[in-house]
Amino acid sequence: MKFIRIQKGFDLHAAGRPSLELQRLEAPETVAFIPKHIRFIKPRLAIKEKDSVKVGSLLFSDKHRPDLKFRSPGAGIVETVHFGPRRILEAIVIRLDSEEEDEIFSSISEAALDTMDTKDLVARIQEGGLWALIRELPFKNIPFYHGKPPGIIVTMGTKEPFEPEPSVYLRGREDLFQFGIRALKRLTANVVVVLPSGNDAPDFLHKMATHTVSGKYPCGDAGVFLYWTKTDLDQKRNWYIHGQDVLLLARLLRDGRYPIERTVVLAGPDVKHPCHIETRMGAPLSHLAQFGTINGDHRFVVGGLFTGYPEPGNGYLSFHETAVAVLPNDKKAERFALFKPGYHKPTYSRAFISRLNPSPMTVDGRYHGEERACIGCGYCANVCPVDILPQFAFKTIIIGEMEEALKHGILDCVECGLCSHVCPSKIDLAQILKTARADLYKEMVHR
Amino acid sequence: MSTQKPLFNSLRKAFDQNGSLKRLAPLYEVLESIIVTRPRFTATAPVVRDSLDVKRYMMLVIVALLPHYGFGVYNVGCQALLASGHSPNFLRAVFIGLQAVVPIVLVVFAVGFTWEVVFAVIRRHPISEGVLVTCTLLPLTLPPTIPLWQAALGISFGIVIGKEIFGGTGRNFLNPALTGRTFLYFAYPAQISGDAVWTLLIGGKTAAVDAFSGATPLAIAGSMEKMRDVHVVLSDAGYTLTKLFFGLYPGSIGGTATFLCVIGAGFLILLGIANYRIIIGCILGLMTTAGILNMIAGPDSMPYLSLNPLYHLVMGGSMFAFAYMATDPVSSCHMQGARWVFGFFIGGLTVLIRVFNPAFPEGVGLAVLFMNIFAPLLDEIEIKMRLKRRVSNV
Repeated sequence: MKFIRIQKGFDLHAAGRPSLELQRLEAPETVAFIPKHIRFIKPRLAIKEKDSVKVGSLLFSDKHRPDLKFRSPGAGIVETVHFGPRRILEAIVIRLDSEEEDEIFSSISEAALDTMDTKDLVARIQEGGLWALIRELPFKNIPFYHGKPPGIIVTMGTKEPFEPEPSVYLRGREDLFQFGIRALKRLTANVVVVLPSGNDAPDFLHKMATHTVSGKYPCGDAGVFLYWTKTDLDQKRNWYIHGQDVLLLARLLRDGRYPIERTVVLAGPDVKHPCHIETRMGAPLSHLAQFGTINGDHRFVVGGLFTGYPEPGNGYLSFHETAVAVLPNDKKAERFALFKPGYHKPTYSRAFISRLNPSPMTVDGRYHGEERACIGCGYCANVCPVDILPQFAFKTIIIGEMEEALKHGILDCVECGLCSHVCPSKIDLAQILKTARADLYKEMVHR
Repeated sequence: MSTQKPLFNSLRKAFDQNGSLKRLAPLYEVLESIIVTRPRFTATAPVVRDSLDVKRYMMLVIVALLPHYGFGVYNVGCQALLASGHSPNFLRAVFIGLQAVVPIVLVVFAVGFTWEVVFAVIRRHPISEGVLVTCTLLPLTLPPTIPLWQAALGISFGIVIGKEIFGGTGRNFLNPALTGRTFLYFAYPAQISGDAVWTLLIGGKTAAVDAFSGATPLAIAGSMEKMRDVHVVLSDAGYTLTKLFFGLYPGSIGGTATFLCVIGAGFLILLGIANYRIIIGCILGLMTTAGILNMIAGPDSMPYLSLNPLYHLVMGGSMFAFAYMATDPVSSCHMQGARWVFGFFIGGLTVLIRVFNPAFPEGVGLAVLFMNIFAPLLDEIEIKMRLKRRVSNV
């Protein structure tokens, strides 16, 4: 096992970290599929409202890539299909039957896996609706299969404050995980398992991990890992998949049914007992939250504090996300905040006395300031895990100098969100870089 | 606190989109934001943002500058009493100092803030807190005898030409306070240079008493005749290293107190506001250059050449400019390596201008402005070098 140390990044000392305890939830009344959070797809619906679906029934496929399919996370009646502005497919809500029926897929035995044709394996994953779990660097798009990828990176966590621990979601699923890794090895010989140090992963995972990374958030991210280990240009198109998604893949291939189980963390300062929750894909946030939030007004953040998006309380868990943070939604204005030493203010800078406070601090979803022009403090460059200079890169993007932006390495950006997080001018650096990268991707695909 | 809320609510109505004073909204926002921070929620990733904002960043600079005002008020009064033949009494000195300093500060803030509001309203951008730092810095660099209209003109030039015509704080390439100060220096040399302007006279006197020499150490060192030891001449005039360090001598209002500059610089470095690379770079540049001049100084050369580098550091406003002007994040270099070079050249140029240019007793302001112009170039060189090292991903 190789050991890698990543120097840059930032650990947010946030209150409400999840414990390693695992709670099981009853089945919710409804589940949903949220297509709008899957990037670079154009859904073509295969169902309409009032249709009845099974677990694993086809919901929609991609208009440009018919083999890219998305399947139902529950059995029941399609209650509503929500469209947003410009008819963006936002959500497909399914009211669950009391007895759920499964769509049957063909299963692969352990022995058959090793001799199986790679194309056949890819076809089965695509047919099973889980191809979107694999993403391709540097754009984080769903990969096209044109033969072997240069490598697959399996990430076991990024040290984001709230994310599921491998020791919890792998509990009792060792065989399944190993099956999944073997399946990935059929796609390419070069499969690396990247384990962030300091999480008490089970022994078998320590044996399977090819690399341990230490450092601050986002040290275990596939893009960060690749940036620091890349030796030649072929590797830039490596694929990656999250550890928990390997389990889903294995469940589909080994057991022949569409997997719906998800281990999710419910954490944050407004959660009574932050912990891991065993629930299912597309579960409603209110269903998770009834499990124990502090009374009052909340903001839900789906998918981690730095990379997740805010979602109203009637939202649902989306396909890729496994973390829900509950943050206070305090609308009260703060008085004389400018003149307070700020013992309880979480910060990267040293401008608050909270740097001397060892206890975890309450984070919220406020900007904590107004937007200003960049003053060149350079905090963003200090934290960027892949050595981009966001304070210069974002200007090259704004003035439309894409060549210059590429030289600045925006393709290496892992979209970790740290630059926006630390910016005292409250510039949405991460969003500017992300949009520019997405535009580049669209240009490349539609060429 | 309960009375604030209805007050702000009714005031906001007048300034909001349909209100009668909507064009002045930036003015209202800045007043409100000093007292209450209205929550603004994030809509995009990352949802969680750092607690630091530019307002606090700039406010901490002002906090670091406040002791200079305290010192400046006392020093102005103290020098005025000495020059007028009285013995310095603390309370009297403070009273006289306040009389001289408060009008300058009020005028500078009123005029500077007005310009900022005018531009904010016309250009429709928020009022930036950078203007407060500029207005706090400028009076500290002025002589206490400056006519108020000149102070107003100086801050106007600094804010308008130094900053606002480029788009406001963050888009300026020169330090606005120094731009204003330098404008006054070139436009009105009579009121901002020479021996007389640095000391206030009280009681209707037109000249200082004979025992009092109003000459600043920079003027003495710059204009002395050959064949004498510069250190002896300085100490004859009462300027020992200790006195220069503590700054109780005629000079600009708050810029002479080197010891406060050291404390302020330490404070800002500790809080991560000022960049230590620039300050240390400045000091290194100044010491190195002065050291080299010491080495080339022969018995026939200018005595200024052989001045101990430490004197250069504590004399005049060099440390003040290093700590508060050179470290302005906007107009200095933005790359870590370039910041060293930037600082080093400021230090070096300061000495060179002081020693070799008899027209300018103090060179540090010009040195900072000169390097401000070169900062983007230094950045560009470092960025080019750094991007070359990247493994290409195109």
